[in-house]
Amino acid sequence: MNIAMIVEKRQQQWVELEKLCDALELSGKDRKTGAAGVSRFATLYRAACADLALADAYQLPPATVTYLHRLVARAHNRLYRAYRIDPTTWADTLLRKAPQQIYADPCVRVASLLFFGLFTLATILGANDQWFPDFVPQLVGQEQINQLESMYEKPVTGSLDHYVTMAGFYIMHNTGIGLKCFSFGILIIPCLFEIAFNAVSLGAMFGYMSRESSTGGDNFLHFVTAHGPFELTAIALAGGAGLRFGIGLFHTKGYTRKDSLRESASRAVPIMAASAALFFLAAFTEGFVSPSPLPYVFKACWAIASAGLISFYFVVLGFPNDQYDSQRHDGEADFDPLADDDKDPIHAA
Amino acid sequence: MTTANALDTTIAVVTPENIAFEYQLAGPFRRLPAYLIDVATRWAVILLVVFTLMMIGLLSNVLSMGSFLVATGLVVYFLISWFYGTFFETYFNGRTVGKWACGLRVICVDGRPIDGTRAVIRNLVRVADVAPFAALSSFVDQASPIFWIPTGMVGFVSVICTKRMQRLGDLAAGTMVVVDEKSWRLPVTKIEDPRVPALASYIPGDYRVTRSMARTLAVYCERRAYLTPARRREIAMHLTTPLIEKFEFRADVDPDLLMVALYHATFLSDLRLEPAALGSLVGASPLLRDVKRTESNGQGPAISLKEKEMPVVAAIVDETAESIPEVAEVQVEIESASHPANEVSDR
Repeated sequence: MNIAMIVEKRQQQWVELEKLCDALELSGKDRKTGAAGVSRFATLYRAACADLALADAYQLPPATVTYLHRLVARAHNRLYRAYRIDPTTWADTLLRKAPQQIYADPCVRVASLLFFGLFTLATILGANDQWFPDFVPQLVGQEQINQLESMYEKPVTGSLDHYVTMAGFYIMHNTGIGLKCFSFGILIIPCLFEIAFNAVSLGAMFGYMSRESSTGGDNFLHFVTAHGPFELTAIALAGGAGLRFGIGLFHTKGYTRKDSLRESASRAVPIMAASAALFFLAAFTEGFVSPSPLPYVFKACWAIASAGLISFYFVVLGFPNDQYDSQRHDGEADFDPLADDDKDPIHAA
Repeated sequence: MTTANALDTTIAVVTPENIAFEYQLAGPFRRLPAYLIDVATRWAVILLVVFTLMMIGLLSNVLSMGSFLVATGLVVYFLISWFYGTFFETYFNGRTVGKWACGLRVICVDGRPIDGTRAVIRNLVRVADVAPFAALSSFVDQASPIFWIPTGMVGFVSVICTKRMQRLGDLAAGTMVVVDEKSWRLPVTKIEDPRVPALASYIPGDYRVTRSMARTLAVYCERRAYLTPARRREIAMHLTTPLIEKFEFRADVDPDLLMVALYHATFLSDLRLEPAALGSLVGASPLLRDVKRTESNGQGPAISLKEKEMPVVAAIVDETAESIPEVAEVQVEIESASHPANEVSDR
């Protein structure tokens, strides 16, 4: 046997495959190579696969085998490409999977209780300036309070440019908090800390601004009322998704730890998607309704309507039904519909 | 063939073509430059957007346009800083700018390409991976700027502790980062020493190289360029000492040369088809019986034989160390010259 000759003979095709890999680098399509090039690429790829499979029988030198491994890996990456985000599944995820998951998930309850409980507590403590006058200054610092008050000095009506900038900042800041809660979920404790910290500081600020003595309190309420329900719920949901995620590391349900983490991550995704949708609605509200000079009544009605919408979403859409469960189990064994289609060319012929 | 898994950074993947190939995993020190390039790119894009918005603001000069532009800028900043990686990995087949520059790619652990959901998960969890100090900054307001730099210790520990070198985001998304370089060279070991085919022609025709021996020979010949002559001999001796006895060669045949000759006989030549071109080495024999024969012969011809033979044997024994070309491994670069399209079916 002469390896040098075999390698030399096969090398021409390997080189050709490499060149096609280069041509198909970015798009997966290439104008010059065209359809013929793609099918040629697939043929060459399979040939290289066969070479690799036979490398042992040929007793190819290890360096050549390493080369083949890389060539095949590279061609594999050109042939099988990333699935893009498919918008057609979004409706199903958002309207069916997410509410079911949220309703049934204890992690969401824990995160919501933690967030809204601490938020309410901090609001009550912050609002009561007779019993706890020092609570807010000690918690967030006098400097921050002054800053907060100066931010809301101007009335919402008539100072659009000021509040539009603030809306942009809060979209960035609060959505960032939500995403952080989700990300830190994998470490659990930072996630709980993020939820608690933001609940307490937001609650304290809300409480402080609702005091009679604070300046700009009315403007503050005028600005935050409309988007409050969406945004606060979204943060709590993101925290819940994060917790769901991290709990998978410990509550493995018989999976290996890694698989359990992966499985719980895929369960957290619909919750996070719902949270993202709420953040989007909050951002929309924050950008177009909150800084606008619309009357306070309209904004209050918007808040009530959005709270009602969220309740409807969680309770009505989320109420457990058997259909969802059975569909979920069917989905696991999802066969390609072409496989038993009547139009199968082999059987039709 | 069942061999022990190499202590190496490769991971096997079985494809739909039902073959298993190996990916080379990317460790932390390949991924760090890629990440830094990504950070730089992200900031460059953000600065570009900010600059563009500023120019629009200055040129348009419409009242209260400025605040809208600031708000837009903040939202764009938010989107870029959180979804840069997700966007690139989804739409460029698992590669960001940094990964492209460093020859890396993200794929699923089962070898399939990454999909949108996984890209979202692994890029969101990056925040946890670059912890801890980025997290501390949220409650230490007066911390000096050095503590705002994310250390990435969580991700680093996760990468070095997992088999597939996954950070937490990779674990959660079920992905791994592999090396996917743009071009490689096909290493071919070439042997140009004329004594090698000469010695190879004396290897008994009935000697069959076993599989593990063939592998060993190939690895040895790829590696010997990096070894000193003394070290080569020391390593080769373990294998060649029993072989020299078996082949009935002289005991002073250079072990390194014998290994190369075996490699030549196994991989490069087909002795049964073509006789080795011996050239000036005709008559030089490493065989023990040839030595005995020359010794038992009369003095006259023996001297001439010896004179003819000795330098050669000496060369085989001693000079080899220096005279075999040091770099026997020739990296044959894949040329980009166009080849006529071969029919694949001719294999």
